[in-house]
Amino acid sequence: MIQIVLLIVKVILLLLILMGGFAYTMLAERRFLGFFQLRLGPNRVGPGGLFQPLADAVKMMLKEDLMPLQADSVVYRLAPVFSLLAALSVDAVIPFGAPIHIFGQTVSLDIANPGIGLLIAFAFSSLGIYGIVLGGWASQNKYSLLGGIRASAQMISYELAMGLSVLGVLMMAGTANLENIVLAQRAQGWFFLPQIIPFLIYFTTAVAETNRTPFDLPEAESELVAGYHTEYSGIRFAMFVMAEYINMMTVSGLAVTLFFGGWLGPSFLPPIIWFFIKMAIVIFVFIWIRATFPRFRYDKLMSFGWKVLLPISFIYFLGTAAFVSGIL
Amino acid sequence: MIPFIILAVIAIAGALGVILGRQPVHSALALVGNILALAVLYLLLSAEFLAVAQVIVYAGAIMVLFLFVVTLLTAGKEEGEPPEELGGQRWWAGIFAIGIGVVLAVLAITHPGSAVNTGIPSNFGTIHEVGHVLWGPDFLYLMAVAIMLLTAAVGVLVLNRPMKRSRVRRPGRREA
Repeated sequence: MIQIVLLIVKVILLLLILMGGFAYTMLAERRFLGFFQLRLGPNRVGPGGLFQPLADAVKMMLKEDLMPLQADSVVYRLAPVFSLLAALSVDAVIPFGAPIHIFGQTVSLDIANPGIGLLIAFAFSSLGIYGIVLGGWASQNKYSLLGGIRASAQMISYELAMGLSVLGVLMMAGTANLENIVLAQRAQGWFFLPQIIPFLIYFTTAVAETNRTPFDLPEAESELVAGYHTEYSGIRFAMFVMAEYINMMTVSGLAVTLFFGGWLGPSFLPPIIWFFIKMAIVIFVFIWIRATFPRFRYDKLMSFGWKVLLPISFIYFLGTAAFVSGIL
Repeated sequence: MIPFIILAVIAIAGALGVILGRQPVHSALALVGNILALAVLYLLLSAEFLAVAQVIVYAGAIMVLFLFVVTLLTAGKEEGEPPEELGGQRWWAGIFAIGIGVVLAVLAITHPGSAVNTGIPSNFGTIHEVGHVLWGPDFLYLMAVAIMLLTAAVGVLVLNRPMKRSRVRRPGRREA
């Protein structure tokens, strides 16, 4: 009984963290982008713009929810839900901190801790693409459709390199359980040192998977208006944006778990704080990249994924396999 | 039993949706629902690796490619267009499907069989066990499948190779 109550409490806490994280990641991104571009950014609502997310939320909820006449109404409504659902469910398997002891119970700081946690995270994140493709198709608008089609081609191409890049970590840790991967890094040191090239590939593909600059071809405003969410407004548009930011937090969390020792850190701060500090640094790099790089050209993007990232990660994967098995 | 019934209903509804949907995208979506329901069924059978592979490979990659093509082909198509002529195929398919279903149901009722209750090993279906099987006794089959898939991929490339440049030279460009 107490287990079920604990589980519900953990789910609610995770949702609150993700939603709050989404709101303030977005605010941080807008303010940082302002600084990068030598302007102020949103700083009017509350001290330093801290209440801006609340104002945005109220605005989004009160906006009229529009739907094009020719749109496929069922799929049009389903798409943002699917997007957000896939984004949220990945976080269920990420361990946010070391297990804690409270009220005589040992509580692990994740919703579920399956033996194949890493694969489950990839399975859920591979579903996120449906929201984008379906949203683009259901709008019955050529720009939206192009955005959706670009997204599906891009995400499938980069998913392969992403999957191959984390296999090295999986082999070094000898397990696909995310908690054990973190514990293995306590013994072997953080994996980003021996796996530096896979880490860079993972990070590049993560930027592409979350459709952010310089890989934001699906929503390239100079050619596609806003891509797959051109026709969306109000709360449904907000759900697409939420999914994008939560995906960004998720891939950052996975990067921290796989390559930067998860919650490990000096003991003067609790483990969960270490996890969020590392995650915040990775998210800051995401924002930094967005402020720095111009957008790829589409054919360059595809050939970069297939002809550069995939072969390199495959070669490094084979090398890691030879090293781990003791041949080298 | 209750999870099985719920999942079975979802899977069957998805399968029906695939053949009854008028809009190809709806059919593809129903197939995704069917695939996800099957994946959870595998989880109930403690075949966790198979479940995840089903989601990653079928739902995450193959169905996305399906949708990629289907969305391109059906973009801007009117709902009211008549469906393609299938002749009497619908009726015959229905009759055969019902016939096979009846035969299976009769067999299941007349030969209930001893329930398969051999007890599964403790780490059945985990990533380690599947790996031991695939890279141990079944390695030959794994390689055979790999070669088959590689052949198919190469075959696609060969069949679709662009025509030689010299043959498609346009007449108007000769001066340049």
